[in-house]
Amino acid sequence: MRIKLSKIILLLFVFSLLVVFGSLTVRAQEFNFDRANSDYLYNYNLYRQSFNEYVVAKEAYLKYETLTSKTEALEKTRQMLRNQDEVVKTYLTALRLKLAETSGISDYEQNVLYLKLDSEIAWFAKHQEEANSAGTLEDLVSSAQDGKDQYQKTEVLVYGTLGAIIASKETALREEINQKIKELKDKVGEIRLKGDKNTALAERWLLEAENRLTRSQEKQFAAQQALSKIKVNNSKKAEDYNKAQFTFEESHQYLKDANSYLREVIREIKSAD
Amino acid sequence: MRIRTILNQDFENLPRQEEGKEIKPKMAFKKPLIIFASVFGAVLVLLIATAVFMSFNPKDNSTGKIGQPTPTPIPEFKEEITSPSSYATDSAILKSEEEIKALDEKIQKTDIKESGLNPPVLEWKIEFEKN
Repeated sequence: MRIKLSKIILLLFVFSLLVVFGSLTVRAQEFNFDRANSDYLYNYNLYRQSFNEYVVAKEAYLKYETLTSKTEALEKTRQMLRNQDEVVKTYLTALRLKLAETSGISDYEQNVLYLKLDSEIAWFAKHQEEANSAGTLEDLVSSAQDGKDQYQKTEVLVYGTLGAIIASKETALREEINQKIKELKDKVGEIRLKGDKNTALAERWLLEAENRLTRSQEKQFAAQQALSKIKVNNSKKAEDYNKAQFTFEESHQYLKDANSYLREVIREIKSAD
Repeated sequence: MRIRTILNQDFENLPRQEEGKEIKPKMAFKKPLIIFASVFGAVLVLLIATAVFMSFNPKDNSTGKIGQPTPTPIPEFKEEITSPSSYATDSAILKSEEEIKALDEKIQKTDIKESGLNPPVLEWKIEFEKN
């Protein structure tokens, strides 16, 4: 009787473990980029609201300089800083998930970026705790300054990660086009050997497509170089990033051209001499 | 003169009405004609009324909605090979063609800007000093 009871308890324990593990796995699967991005946008909205409340409380404190208004300003500032840190954390999490969902990036580069992003998220989590424990307005001002200095570094990492995401997309597309070029080259080679069709024009289109791929690669390299030049103390980080992004767009245009040339190759093969 | 002529008539030999036959009045012949004309007229009036009503009805779809621009249909360019080669029906070529088309759509759809992921704008400067 006792053995039976222990068996039932053991079975129930294993079953409950499986249920818990299963539900955790489902929850983990559900947390994707879209969900993380929604979290980030929600927190950004909260931050905007708390920032407005901070401005009102600050004005009231500077005007009346009472203990009540000072307490109110302290609380509103603390809340705003907490929300600000939460915005950065959720944004970086969304960026991390975007990176995870992007194909074409090397494992090494991806892992390095993961480590850096995790380190930044941890910093802002710690900063959030510090803001919670700040007792005076001066402490909060100092805490905000720390956050500002760190965010300068965060921006460099963000632009680098965004560049890596875009570059990996370009690389993946270029590889696909390159594969198609190889296939068509083989086919055109077969036709030339058979000698029942002139392949000169098709070969010229293939050559042009290859040239466009090379140009695309060069533009991508130039964009990545520009991104690597963005430094912490650079005051025009966003402007520099936009320039790099434009170069990525040029690279993308070359990919479009290359693929359209492949369509010309097909057209040429399908047409009689 | 006229009276004399009447008196000189041979009343006995006047033509008699045949037995069993009734002389129909002239109006009896006109009745179907009147019915036909009235029905025809009514139909005509109905048709005219319908035509007038339709021309003034703003909800009539056949006239098109005034003031609402409709997009001009853009003719889609379709590659037509007038003189196909022996490879026009080659399965490998057709397969490559489909794959290149799919790749083209993929390239067009790829978001190369990722503008939704730009870093958030945050106000870090906090101060409690009077200007």
